[in-house]
Amino acid sequence: MSGPAANGAYLRLDNVHKRFGKLHVLRGVNMEVARGEVVCVIGPSGSGKSTLLRCINLLEPPEEGDIVLEGKNLCATDPRAEEDEEGIDFVRRRVGIVFQQFNLFPHKTALENVTLGPEKVLGRKSSECKEKAQALLGRVGLGEKMNEYPDRLSGGQQQRVAIARALAMDPHVILFDEVTSALDPELVKEVLDVMRELASEGMTMVVVTHEMGFAREVAHQVVFMDGGVVVEHGKPADVLENPKEERTKRFLGLVLEH
Amino acid sequence: MDFIRQYYFDFGIMGDEFGRIMEGFWFTVQLSVLSGITSLAWGLVLAVLRQLPGKATAPVRWLTIGYIDVFRGIPLLLVLLLVSGGLSTLSSPIGGEVIPTWLGKPTWLGQTTPFWYGVFSLTITYGAYMAEVYRAGIEAVPGGQMEAARSLGMSHGQAMRFVIVPQAVRKVIPPLLNDFIALMKDTSLVSVLGAADVVFVGRAIQSEQFNGSGLMLGAFLFVLVTIPLARLVDYLIAREQQKTQRGGAPAEAAELDQQALGGGGGVTT
Repeated sequence: MSGPAANGAYLRLDNVHKRFGKLHVLRGVNMEVARGEVVCVIGPSGSGKSTLLRCINLLEPPEEGDIVLEGKNLCATDPRAEEDEEGIDFVRRRVGIVFQQFNLFPHKTALENVTLGPEKVLGRKSSECKEKAQALLGRVGLGEKMNEYPDRLSGGQQQRVAIARALAMDPHVILFDEVTSALDPELVKEVLDVMRELASEGMTMVVVTHEMGFAREVAHQVVFMDGGVVVEHGKPADVLENPKEERTKRFLGLVLEH
Repeated sequence: MDFIRQYYFDFGIMGDEFGRIMEGFWFTVQLSVLSGITSLAWGLVLAVLRQLPGKATAPVRWLTIGYIDVFRGIPLLLVLLLVSGGLSTLSSPIGGEVIPTWLGKPTWLGQTTPFWYGVFSLTITYGAYMAEVYRAGIEAVPGGQMEAARSLGMSHGQAMRFVIVPQAVRKVIPPLLNDFIALMKDTSLVSVLGAADVVFVGRAIQSEQFNGSGLMLGAFLFVLVTIPLARLVDYLIAREQQKTQRGGAPAEAAELDQQALGGGGGVTT
């Protein structure tokens, strides 16, 4: 594990662009995340928040700009070229992601969902993986549900399994892509509680969310995105209570109304 | 009407020739099962090759697509004739003995050479059909599954092997069984190569005794196997539909959500 980059940023995005055909989704995103920092990314739908996360772990390789993780530029070679998977390997070993739709493997039990990555990718012994997975599932409150298949679990439970699955790979950073948006309101808290605990343990997290309360309480930095760029960023108190930019004010006005 | 009874349903002949016909049918069953297994495997290989990612593998994809298109478009009988003719000639002095006899005129596992020509032809043809079925299954696995697998650090190959293909295969068992029924019926074509299958035996009886009862018994034996298989397919499809009607079980999940609330009385969503 190499240390943080010279400028102190653990993860740095520099002028990142992403297009889908003619649609220019990210138009030069700059962002810095320090080690142990929780960054909440907010903004209207279509502003590019999810695309940004998917760029960070190269699920959607950016066309332009640099993504520097732990001092290594992931975009130094072209990450779109499938033959060159060096950047992809580097980032996927260090950055986990939790999806809005959970994306659990439906043919595997909760426990197997968590052990699959460490076993197949990290080549760890299956007994060791199982022990660790049991501990992780216990930690997210699902010790009783280890042998259930995903379709026997509620949305909140599935999402907690997904978090355990990401944690099993010992990530340095976890990306959360609107992880509570697909949940019934009464199930949101159990997932946010797990995330709060992770944050308090010093996990580096980039969280795309509509949960302003969570952002205010847990984030060290709030990033407001609109139209494919970062409009404003700073401490939650500054961005959420005293936004400088007109666009941020308008968005917060709409979101906080109800 | 008497003619029909005598020609098709002469139980005397059926009884006398029962052993011979069963021997022919046993050949058919062995050929069907072995070719079914090899077609399933070959089809999966083709389907996976067809789904390889990246620019570098594009030629492999094109070749695979070309292969599938060609073999889905050629009559099996033609393939059988080309395979048997080619292999037997190439391994004989006329063909210059380009390939060794054990390969050109195989008699592995105590089976006859036409049996192996049948296995080979059925595999390359039905592999192409089954590849398309697998492809539909692979494409029916939600994209989020591949993303989740890749984001855990799996390579494309690992993601296919541990995540995508196991789910795809479950979805395509009914259509694959349908293909197996078709394959089993198509094994009858090997009779033109002189393979002693149930049709070959039936025809022999027909020409010896000017009576179709042997063929009729063969037809009955086919139906005895294929109808239960068809019912099994229907049952599997119905079960799958029941599952998807629950929409991947949100109804159940909702119940569980309520339990999770502790009592859950009166919670409606």
